[in-house]
Amino acid sequence: MVRRAADTLLLRIARRTPGWLITATLAGIASGVAELLLPDTTAHAVDLAIAGHVRLTAFWPLLAVIIAVAGTNAVYQATIARLTAIGTAWLRHRLTGTLLGLRPTNPGLAPGDAVSRMTGDCALAGAAAATVAQLVLVALTSIGAIIALALLGWWLAVVFAVSLPITLLLARSHVRHTEGSLAAYRKFSGELAARLLDAATGIRTIAATGTADQETDRVLTPLPRLAKAGLDMWRAQARMAWRAALLLPGVQLAMLGAAGYGVLTGRLTAGGLLAALGYSSMGMGLIGAIALLTTLATARAAADRIVEVERLPRRPNGNNVLPNGPGALALRGVTVRADDGSPTLLDIDLTIPAGATVALVGRSGAGKSTLAAVAGGLRLPDEGSVSLDGADLATVRPADLRAAFGHAFDHPNLLGDTVADAIGTGADLDTVTAAARAAQVDDAIIRLPHGYRTPLADAPMSGGEAQRIGLARALVGDPRVLVLDDATASLDTVTEERVTNAIRTSLPGRTRLVSTHRIRVAEQADLVAWLAEGRLRALARHDELWQFAAYRAVFTEAPG
Amino acid sequence: MSAARLYLDALAGQRRAITILAVWSIVEGLPALLSGRLVALAVDNGFAVGKPSQGAFWLGVYAVVSLFGAVGARGVYGRLGEVVEPMRDALVRVVVHGVLHDDATTRHQPDAAAIARITRHIEVVRDVTAGILIQARGLAVTTVAALIGLVGTAAPLAVLVLPPIVVAVAVGIALLGSLARRQRAVIMADEQCAQLTATVYTGLRDLVASAAEAVSASRIGRVVDRQARVAVRLGNASANRELVTSFGGLVPLLLVVAFAPAMVAEGRITTGAVLGAVVYLVTNVQPALIGLGQTAGNTVLRLVVTLRRLADIAVAPTAPIVVATTIPVRVDLVMRGVTFGWGEAATPVVTDLDLELPAGEHIAIVGASGIGKSTLAGLLTGLLRPREGRVLLGDTPVDTLAPQARRRLITLIPQQSYVFGGTVRENLSLLTDAATDADLSAAVDAVGATDLLRRLGGLDGEIAHGGGALSSGERQLVALARVYASTARVIVLDEATAYLDPAAEARAEQAFARRGGTLIVIAHRLSSALRANQVLIMDGGRPILDSHDALLRRSASYAELMRAWSGAPQAISARDEPVRSHRRPAAQSER
Repeated sequence: MVRRAADTLLLRIARRTPGWLITATLAGIASGVAELLLPDTTAHAVDLAIAGHVRLTAFWPLLAVIIAVAGTNAVYQATIARLTAIGTAWLRHRLTGTLLGLRPTNPGLAPGDAVSRMTGDCALAGAAAATVAQLVLVALTSIGAIIALALLGWWLAVVFAVSLPITLLLARSHVRHTEGSLAAYRKFSGELAARLLDAATGIRTIAATGTADQETDRVLTPLPRLAKAGLDMWRAQARMAWRAALLLPGVQLAMLGAAGYGVLTGRLTAGGLLAALGYSSMGMGLIGAIALLTTLATARAAADRIVEVERLPRRPNGNNVLPNGPGALALRGVTVRADDGSPTLLDIDLTIPAGATVALVGRSGAGKSTLAAVAGGLRLPDEGSVSLDGADLATVRPADLRAAFGHAFDHPNLLGDTVADAIGTGADLDTVTAAARAAQVDDAIIRLPHGYRTPLADAPMSGGEAQRIGLARALVGDPRVLVLDDATASLDTVTEERVTNAIRTSLPGRTRLVSTHRIRVAEQADLVAWLAEGRLRALARHDELWQFAAYRAVFTEAPG
Repeated sequence: MSAARLYLDALAGQRRAITILAVWSIVEGLPALLSGRLVALAVDNGFAVGKPSQGAFWLGVYAVVSLFGAVGARGVYGRLGEVVEPMRDALVRVVVHGVLHDDATTRHQPDAAAIARITRHIEVVRDVTAGILIQARGLAVTTVAALIGLVGTAAPLAVLVLPPIVVAVAVGIALLGSLARRQRAVIMADEQCAQLTATVYTGLRDLVASAAEAVSASRIGRVVDRQARVAVRLGNASANRELVTSFGGLVPLLLVVAFAPAMVAEGRITTGAVLGAVVYLVTNVQPALIGLGQTAGNTVLRLVVTLRRLADIAVAPTAPIVVATTIPVRVDLVMRGVTFGWGEAATPVVTDLDLELPAGEHIAIVGASGIGKSTLAGLLTGLLRPREGRVLLGDTPVDTLAPQARRRLITLIPQQSYVFGGTVRENLSLLTDAATDADLSAAVDAVGATDLLRRLGGLDGEIAHGGGALSSGERQLVALARVYASTARVIVLDEATAYLDPAAEARAEQAFARRGGTLIVIAHRLSSALRANQVLIMDGGRPILDSHDALLRRSASYAELMRAWSGAPQAISARDEPVRSHRRPAAQSER
């Protein structure tokens, strides 16, 4: 099923650029014909030359063929490159759209994997049309060459037909012989990379303890074994090269012998001997066809991997305008399932009155972040519905959803070129500064090398600072509902209190959904939604819940 | 370090292997050298004059020569590993050294993808070098050998055909510059696309939450379009280069056809020699020229671009301004007029700070997050160099101490603990070679990691790369035990117990207090302040160092912090009824 979709995708690439595809095919055919004419034309010219005919009858055809070979080949190569570039770009645009429309968290697609599909697989699949064109050319020239051989003398074609399978076998056994040492090499290379990554992650400890030299040695421990595996690989290659170096001239010599016999018996001219050599090496191009078939298979597999991404769960994408309202949230029978089908949230009914502050409380893994994401329209529930001021979030257009909700997270990912961009791309500096003040991060930003204009990459930032910039980002759009997912966890209690007060002052009357591990936050909330193992255990005030030991136990969990 | 320097240094140790490789190359080139000559002999003395046995004999000689070529090819491959592998070793060494000695990465978490790219870059250099040694070298040997053979077999023709070949090679080399620029543009565009995709995809949640999808889509779109444009340009340039090389290979043939008849007629050259010349041109020179063009165009350029990337990383480590020759006996820490900021224009984090910490002192540093506590720790341990003023350990500026000496005296545990793939023993004895198993076990018991050690399978237990399934708290316990077992006499805990529960944190801190030496705790929880003799409060104004009781009176912000904290029942419950830590398996972490 995926496979068929992948082939359809490849066909669609081919159909995107019919003009260039036709140009490539025509140039390929022309180039193939010219190449096929070359040995024969050369042979005639040489025969005339040997005979001492000082005439240019053979010169002009050869000149024409040479120009044709060089010219058509150049056009063909340029067209193939363009075809691949166009196909690859089309796939990348498409994949960008797909990736951006995905649900925010996809355990099935790691970031490195997404990148390799974007850079690697798109390029491989984008080359599919060009590969088919190349296959056609190779088939044309090598089969044409074999026919030409047969036309020169049937025995020549027979000699070639016998030697070809031997060469094919050789090409196959090559892969098998290097596999073992290649696997060892990859293993030690991976081990070294893992050690380097370990050490790079601990770079602060290494610098602080002055152990850089020692750790360099430790990272390099697998190096001798890596070098040995590498040497083994080259030795295996050497054995293969030995056989190849024996066999390939073998084919050539067999042809030479057979053609020499033809010259002797008068069935072949001296030029014909040259032509036989030329056609036999052209016929060897069939071996190249194997590599092209592998490339084509790789392109199909790459297209599979692009289609796979298109099958991942997507975000809500409605068309309706969100009506104005005070910010009343209602969750009805909300169930969210993990990839293995087990419920992360199960049948949650939760009504949050407009302007209320609701604390989401529960142990790690109870489903707080998922609930925050579903309630804020970042993802759809698998069952049930979420509505804001009466409008089902699944039907609301994305732009209105984003304007209605402000999200802040425990570990925010800050995006944009500068700190100001990270808070609000396109927002004016006054708005950005106001949001940063409310999030209690203005003081830290002005201590950065270039204040608000500091490039994000150059901003030395603690977890708490990043968290407060993330908070400022949630505040900057003046949303109807604030969803704070453990967004003050790295702040000390005083700063957290200041943030809470500042939000109350600058954005009064906003509905707030705040997931937290802290008692103080739960105490100050109008209501606490207590989650346990994906279910809503209770919705009540903090002091009413405090009598339950299981509720109290939630707050003793590390980190405090 | 320049890319060329890096590459030549890495190859420098392999001179002997390279020489042997060159000798085998000559053997490998024998068939190309003699092919046309032997065909000419077979025709002139054999097939053309009705002596098939003579013809067959010369072809037999050709077979023997081919055998030599095969032996040569085997010899080349056999030596290849001895050139390529040591070169790869040398590159790995330089680059790993560069990564681990880079000062800048101590401020930011390094980018894991970038680290992964480094190892791939090194593999590219290895593969490409091997490719050059096999292909380009082989092709060059073939071309030269065939041209020598041509001169020997049909000198009058050789004079004619050499100029166009030389011109084609020269034009090919002249085109390399523009080709290199285009190739580099393609690689840069690829990298940019990868980087942008990674940023956008990892930030998808945040990007959606801040309605930045359209902006991101058009940013990626622009990069993708540029990628396509530069790929087309590269394709056109490659086609041009192929045009030049195919003419370079084919025009000589045309010249032979045009001028050989007259020469044969005049008797200046034999029939066989003409045939031999064509064999040289068609079977050796022409394919080799095309192959050389492609190798130079793609492989060599890839090598150059990749080497430049590696050269950026393989920077020689910057030595401290002055390396102190003496190791301080006393370990009193003194700050004199220290000012530090992250940039010339930025508001300083620390201004004109004086601080005295006699050996054996136990202080806590408290203050709002982002106020500069970690910066202060960096200054105290010599990781950061003050813009003005001095930090003295005993009477030596701490940033001038040699790393090995510093490690024995002063050490810092950051919040993100360093745990690496290896045995528990290796992890614990990172800072000390002298510790016995008993010392290590004692350190583990002291910081409260006994249970953890048992679960890991004792000191011989294996920890996976990146700490494997260890939780953040468990990693911190490993880091704490490691430093406890070290000889350091000044220890800075920079939120090093943040992931432990309050009871486990108290136990670890008390263990360090009992251990002796100076203890500086950057407090994650305010309970750390109550355990210290003195507290340094940082509130954006001038930091104050005093006892807890005195600070409650002297510092309004300290009093406010304490009020907010002791009002929270969680803190009281943590002190009154210590709860056992709730360890959770990693798989159950927050989604």
